[in-house]
Amino acid sequence: MKPNEFDIIIIGGGITGAGTQRDCAMRGLRTLLIEKSDISTGATGRNHGLLHSGARYAVNDAESAEECIRENMILRRIAAHCVDETDGLFITLPEDDLAYQATFVESCRKAGIRADIIDPEEAKRLEPSVNPDLIGAVRVPDGSVDPFRLCAANMLDAKIHGGQVRLYTEVTGFIREGDTIKGVHTRNVQTGEEQDFYAPVTVNAAGIWGHKIAEMAGVNVGMFPAKGALLIFAHRINNMVINRCRKPSNADILVPGDTVCIIGTTSTRIPFEECDDVAVTPDEVNLLISEGAKLSPALMSTRILRAYAGVRPLVSADNDPTGRNISRGIVCLDHEERDGLKGFITITGGKLMTYRLMAEMATDTVCRKLGIDKKCETADTPLPGSEEKSYKEVAQTIWENPSMAQKSAASRLGTRASRLHVNDKYEDSLICECEEVSVGEINAAIERMDVTTLTDLRRRTRIGMGTCQGEFCACRAAGLLAKAHGCIERERADLNNFLTERWKGNFPIGWGDTLREAEYTQWVYKHVLGI
Amino acid sequence: MKFDTVITGGGLAGLIAGISLQKEGRSTAIVSSGQNALHFFSGTFESMKESPARLQEILSEAGIRANYADGVRLMPMGTFRESALSLEDISLFEKPAFARKALIVNFMGYHDFFFSFIADGLQKEGIEARVRFLRLPEMEHLRQSPSEMRSVQIARIMDRIWEKVVQEIRLLLKDDDAVILPQVFGLQDISVPGRIREALPAKVVFVGTLPPSVPGLRTQMQLRRRYETLGGTFLMGDEVKSAHIHEGVVHSVVTQNLGNHYLEADSFILATGSFFSKGLISTPESVYEPIIGLDVNASDDRNTWYNPDFAGKQPYMDFGLVTDDDLHPFKDGEPIKNMYAIGSVLGNTRPELGTGAGAAIRSAFKAVDSILSKA
Repeated sequence: MKPNEFDIIIIGGGITGAGTQRDCAMRGLRTLLIEKSDISTGATGRNHGLLHSGARYAVNDAESAEECIRENMILRRIAAHCVDETDGLFITLPEDDLAYQATFVESCRKAGIRADIIDPEEAKRLEPSVNPDLIGAVRVPDGSVDPFRLCAANMLDAKIHGGQVRLYTEVTGFIREGDTIKGVHTRNVQTGEEQDFYAPVTVNAAGIWGHKIAEMAGVNVGMFPAKGALLIFAHRINNMVINRCRKPSNADILVPGDTVCIIGTTSTRIPFEECDDVAVTPDEVNLLISEGAKLSPALMSTRILRAYAGVRPLVSADNDPTGRNISRGIVCLDHEERDGLKGFITITGGKLMTYRLMAEMATDTVCRKLGIDKKCETADTPLPGSEEKSYKEVAQTIWENPSMAQKSAASRLGTRASRLHVNDKYEDSLICECEEVSVGEINAAIERMDVTTLTDLRRRTRIGMGTCQGEFCACRAAGLLAKAHGCIERERADLNNFLTERWKGNFPIGWGDTLREAEYTQWVYKHVLGI
Repeated sequence: MKFDTVITGGGLAGLIAGISLQKEGRSTAIVSSGQNALHFFSGTFESMKESPARLQEILSEAGIRANYADGVRLMPMGTFRESALSLEDISLFEKPAFARKALIVNFMGYHDFFFSFIADGLQKEGIEARVRFLRLPEMEHLRQSPSEMRSVQIARIMDRIWEKVVQEIRLLLKDDDAVILPQVFGLQDISVPGRIREALPAKVVFVGTLPPSVPGLRTQMQLRRRYETLGGTFLMGDEVKSAHIHEGVVHSVVTQNLGNHYLEADSFILATGSFFSKGLISTPESVYEPIIGLDVNASDDRNTWYNPDFAGKQPYMDFGLVTDDDLHPFKDGEPIKNMYAIGSVLGNTRPELGTGAGAAIRSAFKAVDSILSKA
C-alpha cells in the first residue's frame, strides 16, 4: 500500500469519528481520520457533558433510553478517567405534576434503568443545593463525562493502533469512479497544501457538517441543525446531576463537571449557514438562568463563566421529507443500499452517550463491506488512561514522588499522567493557575497531541477554561507554543484569536464579576502588554 | 471624624488629589479598599507628554522620578508604542532601532516575561537579539509552590540579590549594547533600577511583565507614604458604604469599619474607579454606582454593551458617571455641589490609548482647584 492508501477514511474529528477510528483500528484496519478544524469542535465539545442514565428518554423514547443505560455502564468501565460517577436526581416541583413520577419510574425500570423514589428530605441531604421546595425526587445513575478527554482518548488509542490523524484538513471533493467513492481530495486549511487519499470505504462522521459532505458525494441526508445553548457557572454548586421530572423541556438539566456546573439547554432550529458560528442571545441567557434557578436557587447568585451553544445533528426519517418526524436515535446509512453509491457510509444522529455504539455500528458496516470478520472489542477494552480501575489508586501506588505536573494532570490524563515526562523541576511550574496546568503537561500536549493553536491546547489541557478565562495563561502558553513551532508571528495572531474566542463566550453573560474580569483583561492585553 | 475633604478611593486619582490638598494645608482622609488600577500600571502616563510642573513636583517630592523624551518605548509583547511621560524604569528611545545587539535575560521558569516575543520585535527592527536564562539558588524556594514564580515574589528577592544578578549578566555580556530585563526590580529599594543601569556597560531596558506591576505597586507605596507624611489619613482596607445627603449636599459618608463614626467633610471626592475596582457595578439590566446611586451614563440595552471583537473598542468601557463641567456628579438629575468625581469612574477609558493615568491626574487637579477656589 502507498502512504496515501488506507482501508478506511473517516471524515470528522468529533467523538463519533474518533470512536469509529478507534474501533476500525482495533479491528486491524489501516485508518485515516480527516478533520477540517480541531478535535471536539462541533457538538462533541458543546453539550452538557452529561453521562445520561437514559432516564430522560425513558418515557418518550425507550430505544434511546436502553442504549444510554448500556453505554453508561460501559463508559464507567472503559473511560473511568473521563467519568465522574455522581448519580442524578429527577425532582418534582410544586408546579409539576407529581403523577408523572410514577410513569417516569415505571418507564425507567422497563428500560433497565435503576430509578429509586426517595424522600424529598433525603434528596436535600444528598444534594444540599437542590431547590428546597421539591415535592418529589427519584435517584438515577446519571453522571458527568468530559467529552474533550473522551474524544482525545479515543483518538490516542486509534493512533496507538496505527491510525493516522490529519487535523485542519478539509475534504474538498470525492474521488469517484462510476458509482464508487474511491477516496477524497483534501486541502490543509493552514498551509493550503492539497493531497488525495484513497480507501475502499469512506465514513461520513462529520456531525451537522455531514449534511454537506453527503451532498458533495451526491447523496442526500436530511439533517436539521438544532441549536442548544448552555451556561457554565464558576463553581460546582451541585454534586449530583439535577433534572426536572417532567416532559423534557428547556434548561432542565444541571450537570456538575470538574470545578464547574453547566445548565442547559434550549433547542432552536437554525439555518445551515449559522452552524460554524453559533451565538447565544440575551433571551437564551435569561431563560437558562431563570429556569436553572428552579433546579438549584444558588444559580441566581453564582458567577457565570461562559455561554456557549452547540448544534445537534438531527436527522429526519427517510420516509418523511417534511422533517417533522425527527429522530434523536442513531442513523447509520450504507449509501450503497440506500442510494446505489458504493464505498460510502454516513453515521449520524445519536448522542455523545452512544458514540461507542455508533462507532460499532459504522465499523460493523465497514467490515461487512470489506469482508472482514472481526468482533468489536471496544466495549471491553479500556481507553488509554483508564487501564487501571482508579487513577487515584494508581497515583498512590506507582508514583512515589509524583511531580506537580503529574499530580495535576492525573484528573485529565488518568493513568497516562504517570508517563508525563517531566525533564526537570522547571516543567512543574504552572501556566494555568485556575485549572492547574503545568509547563510539562503543555509541552507533552504540544509534542504528542497534534496541537497547533492555543484553542487546540485548551481542548486537550483545559487551559483558559477556568475563572480568568485565559487572562493570564493565554500569553504564557503562547510563549511555549511559539518556542515549539518556532514562529512568533503566527503565535501573535493565534493569541488574538484565542482571546476573541474566549470573549465570544463571555460577553453574552458580561455583567458583574465577569465584566470586571473582562475589563481587567482589556487593560492587561491592550495597556500593559501592548498586543 | 471631621475633615476638609474625604476621598473615596486610594488609586492614582485619589492619592494625587489627597497629596495636592494636604500640600495646601487641607485636612483629608482617603478610604481605600486596597484594589486599584496601579496594580496593573504600565509605568507610563500614556496620554501625557511633558509633565505639568505641579505633577512633576508631587512625583519628585514622593521620590518618584519620571521623564519624557520624544520617541518610542518597548512593550512586553515586543511591539513599540509612542513614548509618553514615564517612570524612570521605562526606557524611551528616539527610534525602535535603539541598539545593535541585545541580550535578553530571564529567570529560568519565569513565564510572565515574554522574551521570545520581545526578541522577535527587536529582530524586526534589525536588532540582533539572544535570550539567556539565569538559575539562581536564591530563587529555588519559590518553586516549592508552582504558582510562586510571579513578579512580586521575584522582586522581593531581587531587592536583596540584585548585585549578584548584575555579576551574572556581566558574564553573559559579549559585544551587546543593550540588556533587556523583566520589570522586577526596585519594589522596596527604589534605587535599584538606577544602580543596575550604572553597573552594566550596556543600555539597560526594563520591560513589563504580567501583573502585578512592580513599578505600579512601588508608585502606590511611594505616593501613600508621601500622603501620610503630609498628615493625610489613609484608611486602608475600608470601604465607603453610603452617604448622608441633604438637599444636594453630602454631609458625611459611612464606612464598613467605622460604622457609626461617620466621616464628615466640607467636600467629597469620589475616585472609586470603574468596574474592576467596583466604582461601577453591572447587572444584566443596568449599570449603577453602588455607594450613592449616582446617575450613570450607560445604555440599559445590554446588547449594545459589547463589541464581539476583543481587539475592538468596547462600548461598556465608555460608561461612567454623569457630571457637569466642574466634575460634580448627578443624583436623580440634580448635581451634588460639594462632591467631585475623578479618575476612571468617569468612564471613556481606552486601554489601547492608555487614557487611564492621564485622565486620573487631570481630573484630580481639576477637582482640587475647584475645592481650593471655594474656601
